[in-house]
Amino acid sequence: MRPLGLRNIFRYLAVFVVAVSLNFMLPRLMPGNPLALLAGVDVGLMTPAERAEVIEAVGLDAPLIQQFIDYWWSVLRLDLGFSFRSERQISEMIMERLPWTLLITVGSLAVSAVVGIVLGGFSAWRRGKKSDLSLLTGMISLQSLPSFWLGMLLISVFSVQLGWFPSFGAVTPASDFEGWGHIGDIAKHAILPIVTLTVLSIPGVYLTMRYAMLEVLGSDFIRTARAKGASEARVLFGHVARNAIAPVVTFLAIRFAFAFGGSVIIETVFSYPGLGRLIFEAVSGRDYPVMQATFLVFTVAVLVANLVADLLYPILDPRMRVR
Amino acid sequence: MKLLNRKRTKKRSPKVANRLGMLGGGMVLFLVVMAIGAPWFAPYDPTERVGLPFQPPSAAHLLGTNDVGQDLLSELIYGARVSLTVGIVAALVALVLGTSVGVLAGYYPKRLGRFLMQGVDVILILPFLPLLIILAAYLGRSLLNTIVVIGVLIWAGPSRIIRSQVLSLRSREYVLASRTMGAPDRWAIMRHVLPRTALLATGTFVRAVSTAILLEAALSFLGLGDPLQKSWGSILFWAQSRGAFLTPAWKWWVLPPGIMIMVASLGFALVAFAMEERINPRL
Repeated sequence: MRPLGLRNIFRYLAVFVVAVSLNFMLPRLMPGNPLALLAGVDVGLMTPAERAEVIEAVGLDAPLIQQFIDYWWSVLRLDLGFSFRSERQISEMIMERLPWTLLITVGSLAVSAVVGIVLGGFSAWRRGKKSDLSLLTGMISLQSLPSFWLGMLLISVFSVQLGWFPSFGAVTPASDFEGWGHIGDIAKHAILPIVTLTVLSIPGVYLTMRYAMLEVLGSDFIRTARAKGASEARVLFGHVARNAIAPVVTFLAIRFAFAFGGSVIIETVFSYPGLGRLIFEAVSGRDYPVMQATFLVFTVAVLVANLVADLLYPILDPRMRVR
Repeated sequence: MKLLNRKRTKKRSPKVANRLGMLGGGMVLFLVVMAIGAPWFAPYDPTERVGLPFQPPSAAHLLGTNDVGQDLLSELIYGARVSLTVGIVAALVALVLGTSVGVLAGYYPKRLGRFLMQGVDVILILPFLPLLIILAAYLGRSLLNTIVVIGVLIWAGPSRIIRSQVLSLRSREYVLASRTMGAPDRWAIMRHVLPRTALLATGTFVRAVSTAILLEAALSFLGLGDPLQKSWGSILFWAQSRGAFLTPAWKWWVLPPGIMIMVASLGFALVAFAMEERINPRL
């Protein structure tokens, strides 16, 4: 699809520049007091002295171009700023949340990859038959399923009615589990969010796999393989799946970025203390610096995922190797 | 025998797509009737307190009442209006943006096209949901802002699809002929290129409606929708913040709005699927 080249690196740089510039411009262009939008403080409740202090801390008294340079400088130094609302360093808050989001996105991606590839492969093999068509219809329906609603239903059924899983958080508060008990506790809390995120991701993997398989099934070397008398299983696993896997893996890497963003909604439903929940809390608490910093972290995650996809592709598909 | 089989499956697939399209069309029609006839179908005004709060379903309130005593069934029926309005108008914004950029980039593939497509790629890579949320947070909560935010974020994908078709159209004989005879580019685009992208553009438009409906629901669920409008997403927002899904109330408060969101989004998705299948069969 796209081997890693200068063009891609240039594109990722452009994405990063656009994200940082959006972050810089949005609070300054929007109606309302930029001080409130930048620092996330209640301007009306402050004394003039306090206000002057915050203006200086945010740098709003400098000329615009100076502010822009300062902003870039702080981003490049990985200084994500200070949350006036919670009186903490933002980078600290993000590092606390990041592992939880990684846990549920990686977990769900692993499950949806297996399920999606198997079902997609099966569907392509049975192309046009009843099982293929009903699977395809089911997957299209799944794409229209609102993820937050699914999460709420899972909580109602599995947490409240059946009492199998906890309904919120990542660990039981004020518990002193040790070793395996602690891991079991984390797993119990993670299962429902992972299931929700997985159901959300499966249709994409399925459709990519099915389409990639169909494309390969129609090519000449498959006819050759059949003609030389290879068994159906050998054709499917040795030839078709081997050639269809490259676009699927690329899709998975990019899907990871989507799942990362999708965590905003799912972590809100499950009150799961990850990055998505952080951006939601920042939005509803008008803590704009945290909101902006989290957005930048999401952008970097997306870029890393794309980069991994670019690096993996030529390994999986030798035709794409740059000579 | 194998040959016979293949023939049959080939003939059968478009039929399946058509049937799914009809099903989707029926769902869309049902919602349109519901949205237009909301004042007649709804038993109460959804903004009025017409009963005690947190009532389970009864003869007077078929789906019970919410936390301030508003009738949930009436809210559900009126919700079709917000969902369809946001879905269709946001998709129209995306259609206009996507088609203009797609046609320009396809017709002038050299400098302008490359520049535009690089912009499209940048938009496609940006983290979609977080960007949607911070834009909505900065712009403030209103119906118009919801439409604008969704519209300007979902046009990039469609514009690529349209570009690739225009790219092949521009080298067709009749376009070349009209250009050799001295017709201006504007004429060639309006007369020859645009009409032939119409079908594809309509397909991507219908798919965009399906996406926009889901996004509106998600934004309202996060509390970023118009606070004055009753939408399915905002019913779920209140159900979530009042903990309705932790009580038996989930059966009448949480279940119905989600089903409606799914019907709306799926209805348009199925229509789009049937149209795409006609343009580019994949079954």
